[in-house]
Amino acid sequence: MKSDEYWNPILETLPREKLERLQLKKFQEIFTWAFEHSKFYHKLYGDAGLEPGDIKSFEDIRKVPKFEKSMLRDAQGKDPFPYGDILSVPLEQVTEYHQTSGTTGQPVYQADTWQDWEYGTESFAYALYAQGYRPGDRLFLPFGYNIFIAFWGAHYAAEKIGCEVIPGGVLNTEARILKMQELKATAMGATPTYVLGMAETARKMGINPLTDLQINKITVAGEPGGSIPATRKRMEEAWGAKVYDQCGSTEIGHWGWECRQQAGLHVNEAFFLVEVIDVDTGEYIDEPGKMGKMVVTTFNRMAQPCIRFDVKDLIQWNTRQCDCGRTFRLLDGGIMGRADDITKVKGVLLSPTAIEEVVRDIPQLSNEYQVVVTKKGDIDDILLKVEIVPEYVNDEASIRTVLVDQLRLKTNLGYKIEFHEYGSLPRSQAKSRRFQDQRPKQH
Amino acid sequence: MAQQYDIKAMADIIESLRKDAEKLKKISSGIPTVEKNADRILANVRMLEINISDVAEILGE
Repeated sequence: MKSDEYWNPILETLPREKLERLQLKKFQEIFTWAFEHSKFYHKLYGDAGLEPGDIKSFEDIRKVPKFEKSMLRDAQGKDPFPYGDILSVPLEQVTEYHQTSGTTGQPVYQADTWQDWEYGTESFAYALYAQGYRPGDRLFLPFGYNIFIAFWGAHYAAEKIGCEVIPGGVLNTEARILKMQELKATAMGATPTYVLGMAETARKMGINPLTDLQINKITVAGEPGGSIPATRKRMEEAWGAKVYDQCGSTEIGHWGWECRQQAGLHVNEAFFLVEVIDVDTGEYIDEPGKMGKMVVTTFNRMAQPCIRFDVKDLIQWNTRQCDCGRTFRLLDGGIMGRADDITKVKGVLLSPTAIEEVVRDIPQLSNEYQVVVTKKGDIDDILLKVEIVPEYVNDEASIRTVLVDQLRLKTNLGYKIEFHEYGSLPRSQAKSRRFQDQRPKQH
Repeated sequence: MAQQYDIKAMADIIESLRKDAEKLKKISSGIPTVEKNADRILANVRMLEINISDVAEILGE
């Protein structure tokens, strides 16, 4: 592989043994920083009997207490307002405010210094460069530039690479499509839901994304769709563009991305430590092909350190190495779901991404669907709401048969199927919420 | 691939950039534009350290 494939050929091809030494050194540094500058971390580690100097190996790292979003919410009830005692720099050094979308509860606030913001930009630049973004690309970003971090990192990273960035902020979908056409945009970044929704809207406007627009690559984030083959295929076919997945979160940063090989998500292991932990036993998983929940450390984000964050996303290491030559490991299938989404239904583990794979693999169905789990007495019910594409409305019976068979095959569960009028299920411009567990909570 | 690059020379220059930016900030006598632009330079110097200098130490061990 040519060295111009890499944003940083030194780190991206570092031999594993050196990379792991770098990771250990970086973990020691951020652990020490947080212990000395954050009351939250000082207490968390002090209560566990740990202090700087105790971390000498990866085994020692695994003894460091993990933290969860609920702990962050508690910490943010304290001073200094609004970030709480996790803050590790004087408040006057904070230049960037963002917050989580609140998908899993009360939003949490994120403080960044300008240096932290540069770190986020830098880590997103690794992703975009690996996906082929170069000077001359004209990147359209159709997202609401606001308190949510979303594609802010892509904006700054693309600028840093030397691309031309068009901020498609408060325009509506139709205006965004017209602007992309007018300016001959060559790339865009959005959630998979919105990428599919935009193509649908464009066609309704009489604009064919394949022939009337010039998008040749799309970076998707915010939902798992970029790593779900059937969803990726729909996006690529709708736009005639390569689609690359990118993963990150407000609290962590932009930790994972696909390169041009599209062989899985690379973890940027020079900037982040990603650990896989068994959901039931809490044991560390190193071997590929075994799913567990992700625990992440961000090495150089200083204002609000993220150390062993229990994200509750489900991942597994890939067995193969990417042909791109990077030594950063690959994840198999991207984010495979949420530890709190993969709930037991009728005694079987249900993954919403498996349902999406089935729905999006049936061309007679639209891109939208909803899954609603309810409980009647002691029995769980799963209702799947889908839309049939108008020209296939007379094929409902055969579509139902295929759907039920494929769902049974892929998820081991039976479903009630509800067909809705095309275009009637809710469309989202950001993260969609297609999975609803309406069963009473068990205490 | 790391052998193709003079990482030590790059790390030395990055160190020198940090020293110069810190010195500039120190002698700015509170002129906001000097102080704040020096801060921005230092943030970018830190990115160079993360990308080059930090690994130079590992490769040089």
